[in-house]
Amino acid sequence: MLPIDEAAHSSRWRRRHPVDKAVLGLGLTVLAISLPPWPGAALVMMTALTVMLGPAGVPGRRLWRAYRVPLGFCVTGAATLLVRVGGDGFVGLAEGGPQRAGELLLRTSAASLGVLLFAFTTPMSDLLPRLVKAGVPAPVVDVALVTYRMSFLLLDSVRSVRQAQAARLGHTTRAAAWRSLAGLGATAFVRAFDRAARLQNGLAGRGYDGTLRVLVPKARVSARFTTASAALLAALITLTLVLEGPLS
Amino acid sequence: MHIAEGFLPPAHAIAWGVASAPFVVHGVRSLTREVKEHPESTLLLGASGAFTFVLSALKLPSVTGSCSHPTGTGLGAILFRPPIMAVLGTITLLFQALLLAHGGLTTLGANVFSMAIVGPWAGYAVYRLLRRTGVPLMVAVFFAAFVADLSTYCVTSVQLALAFPDPSSGFLGALGKFGSIFAVTQIPLAVSEGFLTVLVMRLLAQSSKGELTRLGVFPADERKRTETTEAVAR
Repeated sequence: MLPIDEAAHSSRWRRRHPVDKAVLGLGLTVLAISLPPWPGAALVMMTALTVMLGPAGVPGRRLWRAYRVPLGFCVTGAATLLVRVGGDGFVGLAEGGPQRAGELLLRTSAASLGVLLFAFTTPMSDLLPRLVKAGVPAPVVDVALVTYRMSFLLLDSVRSVRQAQAARLGHTTRAAAWRSLAGLGATAFVRAFDRAARLQNGLAGRGYDGTLRVLVPKARVSARFTTASAALLAALITLTLVLEGPLS
Repeated sequence: MHIAEGFLPPAHAIAWGVASAPFVVHGVRSLTREVKEHPESTLLLGASGAFTFVLSALKLPSVTGSCSHPTGTGLGAILFRPPIMAVLGTITLLFQALLLAHGGLTTLGANVFSMAIVGPWAGYAVYRLLRRTGVPLMVAVFFAAFVADLSTYCVTSVQLALAFPDPSSGFLGALGKFGSIFAVTQIPLAVSEGFLTVLVMRLLAQSSKGELTRLGVFPADERKRTETTEAVAR
């Protein structure tokens, strides 16, 4: 299992309806990209961190490991805003570049934390079957469900094959590493199709009619939780508008 | 490399979502039709999606010595065709955003456009063109993977340049900046992905010719010929 999904399965908010968590997490993301970065995104960032490390109980170390992935892209992308091309001299420091880069970093960091709040508390297996109600065609959801379940099995297979290749000195030279990697890709393909064929045989024996029926843990949308989330989002908007003048 | 969550301004995020929508809807229609006609395709398509997801998680040694991940869009387009790849790519990008924190939900439209639409279509166009002109299969596979990978990152650079034009030289200056960071550095990785795709395809041609024939990579009569040869050998 992947670390974020594993954390989501053992989250304190695991039993909450995905809509509850979407209103809060994705609401924070929307605010992060639509409010002025200073102080709006900064406030969103602090709120998301407080909620994740506090009531949601997301482990800090896991959060950092997941968070540093988008952070790497953001830092690289934002660094380009520090430089201008053309004008006096071919390359120079861009006027207002540090401010633009800082604002971009704030916005991206805050938006990423909003999505991470949702991802760290909502297992994919709770979310996918409910997408049909949101209007996503059932066949697409079925394919996504099979993809999700088979991904972990394939990742496990790939890990085992990789270990076996390493034990047979499959990564000692550059040529061996390429050969091993190609073997890994081809094995993943063969195993995926073999597993699909065996699944098909098993399901056919159980009267498969093209619809995958899965049990979804029962949960109800909490009016209290969504109202509190909406109030928190409204408070963030108000606070941003109030503080924007004095802090800018 | 995917554009991270919140990196694009809201108007750009929405615009790329709108631009991607027709291709994804077209793919969804193709997929729904396929599943209705052949219910067992759900499992095969799910397996294909899982393969694409796992392929993008493999570590690829670059010819310059660094390391990255293959996009898998070229191989995916050759095996499953671009319309299906639009859907499988969207599912994979959604999983990557929520399970690996790669990419994002607000930038999903932009990432889908570069990785699930332009990459597969460009790679597939090159593959078909080269095959029609009689170029050997593995050469066509190499260039399809190379073009699919590179075009993906070129489009990402265009998306970023449009969002953040240079204060002095505008869009073109920004394209130079983002291109030098995200696209030029990708050339050795695109070469690596081309080589890897050729090696994977060679192994698949040996071990899974039946599946490749069913997917249309090899003509059906070639399978018959292989079966006849095997029968004669027996």
